[in-house]
Amino acid sequence: MLAFVRKNQVPLSSCFCLLLSIYILTAAARGQLKNEPLGALLMWIMRPLQLASEGTVNWVKNFRDNYDTLAGFKSENERLRKRIQNLEVERQRLLEAEATNRQLKALLDFRTRLPAGAITASIIANSANSWFQSCMIDKGSSDGVRKGMAVVTPLGVVGQVVGVTPYAAKVLLLTDPNSGIDVLVQRTRSRGIVSGSLDSGTVLKYVKRSEDVQEGDRLMTSGIDGIFPKGMMVGTVIKVRKQNIGLFQFIEVLPAVQTSRIENVLVVAGDSAGKS
Amino acid sequence: MRLFLLFFLVGILLILLQTTLLHLLPIGPIIPDLTLVLCVYLGLYHPTVGAALGSFLIGYSVDVVSSPSRVVGLNAFAMSLVFLLVYFSSRSIWLQNPLVSSIVVLFAALVKSAALVLISAFFVNLEGFWIGATWYIIQEALAAAVLAPVVFGLLKAGENYAARFRAAGQ
Repeated sequence: MLAFVRKNQVPLSSCFCLLLSIYILTAAARGQLKNEPLGALLMWIMRPLQLASEGTVNWVKNFRDNYDTLAGFKSENERLRKRIQNLEVERQRLLEAEATNRQLKALLDFRTRLPAGAITASIIANSANSWFQSCMIDKGSSDGVRKGMAVVTPLGVVGQVVGVTPYAAKVLLLTDPNSGIDVLVQRTRSRGIVSGSLDSGTVLKYVKRSEDVQEGDRLMTSGIDGIFPKGMMVGTVIKVRKQNIGLFQFIEVLPAVQTSRIENVLVVAGDSAGKS
Repeated sequence: MRLFLLFFLVGILLILLQTTLLHLLPIGPIIPDLTLVLCVYLGLYHPTVGAALGSFLIGYSVDVVSSPSRVVGLNAFAMSLVFLLVYFSSRSIWLQNPLVSSIVVLFAALVKSAALVLISAFFVNLEGFWIGATWYIIQEALAAAVLAPVVFGLLKAGENYAARFRAAGQ
């Protein structure tokens, strides 16, 4: 018997464990296993180890979370950078729209002060060379534009329509040597003709030497030519030179309207100029 | 005795891993059953009375830290049964290939899940619970089979180190 036990001690001890576990299972199922010491001992051994291990797990989790957060920051940063770029483009577009809106509003307000029949137009092209100062607008005879009509903005005079097609018109700017606008010096009511020149910019011609014209004087349309409404701003005197010989003074003028910066204009009927 | 302490500590460590660190693995709710791997190892390489008791204790420890109070003893029974069957099989199994150890662990896991289902049918009224849990058990067993060669290698290395330490002490 003893020899049998010695020979088969391993399987016998395994069977003993099997039976023991069945006993424990039965007792536990009946609720009789409440204060058994082995389980308490095992829990006592495991507890500090589990606490230390849990601390390590938490450290690993925090490290992983921080890494994920940083990685997330990188992609979020890239996303936000692209969004900023898009918003910047949108902002520029909106600023442009706002500026155009302001301009058009000013034009509209100005239009209400003009005689009826004023036509709003946009400048679509400029002169192809520097010899001639002209531009093209996007309104033509089909819109009511006629040759000889005045082209103005709220800031002042731009020029005169010199050529018309059904859907476009050519405007001779006041800075062109071929233009001539009859003006009055606002302060002294001296008369002259504003015209462009190739060598001296814009000048006020035919002002007698005896006339009182000074730098800073404002030049307004006289309305006598029947083209431009009376009282429209043309420019400001920036230089006056009385030569030793000749009948007239040499006067340089700064135009009120920088023709290179305007986008929208009003075309005013010339035959109603005298009514304003 | 030292070997018994070594395996006892390894068992505690494996239970600790199963209850804490292994939950960090990105494999969902599946926890590799490393204690099963240890029982198989004991059955194959250390078929002693101490190993049989150790398998029982490992299963009981798993019950204490994991199972509800009314099913304490299930894992103790299953681990003891696994040890016994591996002990009987160890005379026929030639373990030189890590793949064989994985296959043995896999079959051991199937035996364990069958034992759990059998016992629960007789002692515990958990209707339908074990049908779903068996699938988890099989998944955990597959994960354990994958890790079996690694765990076997580590245990072997640990044993060799303990043997060298003992030889140096003598």
